[in-house]
Amino acid sequence: MHQESKQKYYAHLIRLIIALVAVILIGLGARQLFKPEGMGDYGHYRGADISDQKAVPVRLGTNEACFQCHRPIRTIHKSGVHKTVSCEVCHGLYGDHIADGKKIATLPVMRGDELKDLCLRCHNKIITARPREEIKVIGMPEHLQDQHVQLTHTCDQCHMVHDPLLWINQAKEIVGVATKQPLKNSTP
Amino acid sequence: MVDIEKEINKDRRRFIKNVLGGTIAGSLLLVIPLRATEYIEQIPGMKDEDSVFTEKNFVFVVDITTCIGCGSCCIADKAEYKVPDGYYRTWVERYIIDDHDGVFVDSPDGGLGGYTKPREGLQNPIRDTFFVPKLCNMCKKPSCVQVCPVGATYQTEDGFVLVDNTRCVGCSYCVQACPYSIRFINPTSHTAEKCTWCYHRVRKGLLPACVAVCPTGARKFGDLDDPESEVAQLLRSPHVISVLKPDMGNDPALHYLGLRREVV
Repeated sequence: MHQESKQKYYAHLIRLIIALVAVILIGLGARQLFKPEGMGDYGHYRGADISDQKAVPVRLGTNEACFQCHRPIRTIHKSGVHKTVSCEVCHGLYGDHIADGKKIATLPVMRGDELKDLCLRCHNKIITARPREEIKVIGMPEHLQDQHVQLTHTCDQCHMVHDPLLWINQAKEIVGVATKQPLKNSTP
Repeated sequence: MVDIEKEINKDRRRFIKNVLGGTIAGSLLLVIPLRATEYIEQIPGMKDEDSVFTEKNFVFVVDITTCIGCGSCCIADKAEYKVPDGYYRTWVERYIIDDHDGVFVDSPDGGLGGYTKPREGLQNPIRDTFFVPKLCNMCKKPSCVQVCPVGATYQTEDGFVLVDNTRCVGCSYCVQACPYSIRFINPTSHTAEKCTWCYHRVRKGLLPACVAVCPTGARKFGDLDDPESEVAQLLRSPHVISVLKPDMGNDPALHYLGLRREVV
């Protein structure tokens, strides 16, 4: 009699404990089910993402990567003042050109106004913010007038774009005029 | 007579040898493709590094006294990650300070097309003008990591702040939290995206894309713990050097050389 009443008295507690245990078990199960693999390996994030991030494909190569095949231009480009200019900024990406060591597409060679725009990105006198490292800047079309050439001329008609003073100095050597020295070289 | 015949025979032998050698070498070149990972190591000791976290202490230095605003870095960055139009992982700002101390900042298309026109509508003569490239500051105490509710943004033990786009739910909380406005929500994947200092390139021993293409060396990247590296020599010697918004307490690893107080 006494025992029975005691059981009845604790019945609601037992139900509560069973419910709590069930909730905890369901929670743990759900956690196992939904927790991504590697979560919490190194911190509150998916540890496997580090290898995912490392596996992002490299699309921009280096100048040396281009020079592995483009031999003749290598000598010219590396000896001129433009040696720090990246091939891929003007011509397009290595990754668009080579895949698995094979050529997949041809990259454009800039001509005409497109080429002029590329040159003027750096050499435009109008842009007054110029740094302590001196690079040659010119105004267009004053430069063409000063050099007594037609105003329709594009930069590459006088300047070898990979080594801008190459042809000019060759011509000057032939006619016996003192050659132009490049301005102080920019940093490596 | 005999001697001459001998010489001719020798010459013929050499000729055939050369032709055969050349043909075999040439055909071998065609058969064996260049390895795709044929890169020259630009960061010492990183090419064969294979642990989860590197032991290095990477810092980024931007020299604003050297930047010419050509936008090469922007081209390289957009191409490396195929960043959608109108969004920028890195960009270049033009600062103009007039002689009445008015500050004017512009960045047409993030500097992607270079700067082609002078700033218009200025009342006073220009006192100073310069370019400021912007990219992720890789804070030592990143606000974006602190606010991410799903653990998608995290900081590696070697200091990179990265986004796991399989975890990101696109809530934009980090976009608001970043004091430097580096982050954006990618319109196609609807997840947060940011400059990673080209983590995948650095782990392969390559410099970040923007550093690799910078023609004037205004962007520098390296290991601060390596006394031989350019960044260590810059940061450990007297220079006007500072970080952006130091009072935010984020402790950035991106340092600016020659930073003016007007830059925010």
